[in-house]
Amino acid sequence: MIEFNHVYKSYDKNYILRDLNFNVNKGEFIFITGPSGAGKTTTLKMLIALEKPTHGTIKFIDTELQNLKPKDIPFLRRKIGFVFQDFKLLSNRTVFQNVALGLEVSGIFGDVIVKNVTEILKAVELFVKKDEYPLSLSGGEQQRVAIARALIQNPQVLLADEPTGNLDEDTSRIIIDLIKSFNNKGTTVILATHDKNLIRMGRARTIDITKS
Amino acid sequence: MISQRVNYIINYFKVALLNIKSNITGNLFAFAIMSFSYFIMLFFLLCYVNIYNYMRLFQKNNIMIVFLKNGAKKDNVINYIKTIKGIKNIHYYSHKSSLKFLEGKVNHIRSILKGVNPDFLPSFIKIRFKKDAISKIFLSNIYLRIKTFKGVSIVYYNKLLEDKIVQFMFFTKVIGLIIFIFLFILSIFISYSAIKLVILRKQTEIEILKLIGATNSYIRIPMFIEGEIGTILSFFLSVLLLFLIFKTFIYYHFSDFLAYFHINIIFLSGWQIFLIFIIALVSGFLGTYLSSKKFFYEPAI
Repeated sequence: MIEFNHVYKSYDKNYILRDLNFNVNKGEFIFITGPSGAGKTTTLKMLIALEKPTHGTIKFIDTELQNLKPKDIPFLRRKIGFVFQDFKLLSNRTVFQNVALGLEVSGIFGDVIVKNVTEILKAVELFVKKDEYPLSLSGGEQQRVAIARALIQNPQVLLADEPTGNLDEDTSRIIIDLIKSFNNKGTTVILATHDKNLIRMGRARTIDITKS
Repeated sequence: MISQRVNYIINYFKVALLNIKSNITGNLFAFAIMSFSYFIMLFFLLCYVNIYNYMRLFQKNNIMIVFLKNGAKKDNVINYIKTIKGIKNIHYYSHKSSLKFLEGKVNHIRSILKGVNPDFLPSFIKIRFKKDAISKIFLSNIYLRIKTFKGVSIVYYNKLLEDKIVQFMFFTKVIGLIIFIFLFILSIFISYSAIKLVILRKQTEIEILKLIGATNSYIRIPMFIEGEIGTILSFFLSVLLLFLIFKTFIYYHFSDFLAYFHINIIFLSGWQIFLIFIIALVSGFLGTYLSSKKFFYEPAI
């Protein structure tokens, strides 16, 4: 489903990724690990065309990302859900509106939004807080909203960049279980982290970016 | 397909209104700057229109004097002049009337004219023109036609005044155009700066929207709506402000004072306001386009 072939990435001639090669199969759950600054975030960013590789090719399903035109990038991103360490929620919108945003950008409006958002908010156990604003929620709740937003478009892949980086251990376990539950329903998950505990909790294939 | 587009449009308006509401301070600041810019533009137009009208008033008051040869048949000349389009009225002065006219003009040395034979003075016809017909070409054309008519000795009109007025009006138009272009560019720049301030505050929001798959139009269209709402509101505020100042000016009877000098102050017509409104909309659009442009550059992979 995803192929990284001899991918290099440099900033001002300083290579942070050298000859990165790995494949991810459909429905798989993998961890990308490595120390801070190893290029985990850059790897994920390249998958959503936020960064471009200096050399090498990245294939997502049938699309060679280096051949992607700028106008097609939003449509690629709709197939890939992204969860960030700092949640990236819109503070001026309610929980419901934040999650609905994922559908609105795809041109889905009306009753479908109400039905799907209600469904996903119930799945992440936040339906009761649908009218609250992100800043009134705890870190774990905000991350669950971010996961709901990422998954509302029913993406083929969920990318999570240090999703538990700002959370305590108990909340981290809730988040990882939640992500696992969506993986069990068929969503491919790539989770970047340097947290060994999280990797132990996840019990999945791990790609060490420094050795790949 | 149509309902999908309608949904998109409704959503764009909802997002735009939400953005305005959530950044009320920034929008008020932008609104104030734009109002000031349009006020200056409208004020300039008001001054320009009044100067132009004043000069037209001078031009429209130009009269023509036709001196007749001795023994000429005045009725023939008068009837001929009456056939010319654009003439408001004509008044014939006989030899005697000419003398009376002269006496009236030099009343303090009237005694000198005593005993003067009226036949030594010319008989003449004074012509006034319709105000909407008068122009430099019109006057020259009539001048040439009457001059060659049988029985006409000399035709006189204030050509120098007419030429100067035409020159002045041309000069006013050129200067007006230059200032207008300058103000138009300035209003684009002001819209650009004001909207850029709003956009800078929304940079994070734009990044998030892009990450979840929003197209550039999805993000940009609400910005244009936001910009145009600001433009429309600030434009109407500036028109209202100018109108109130104008009415206050009239209220304090400055118009009576100016009327003494035959200056009639008028407010902008509906068309002139509409013209500036269109310019304001265009400048708001261009300002939003330019200020948001760099946030939507997506490098090819």
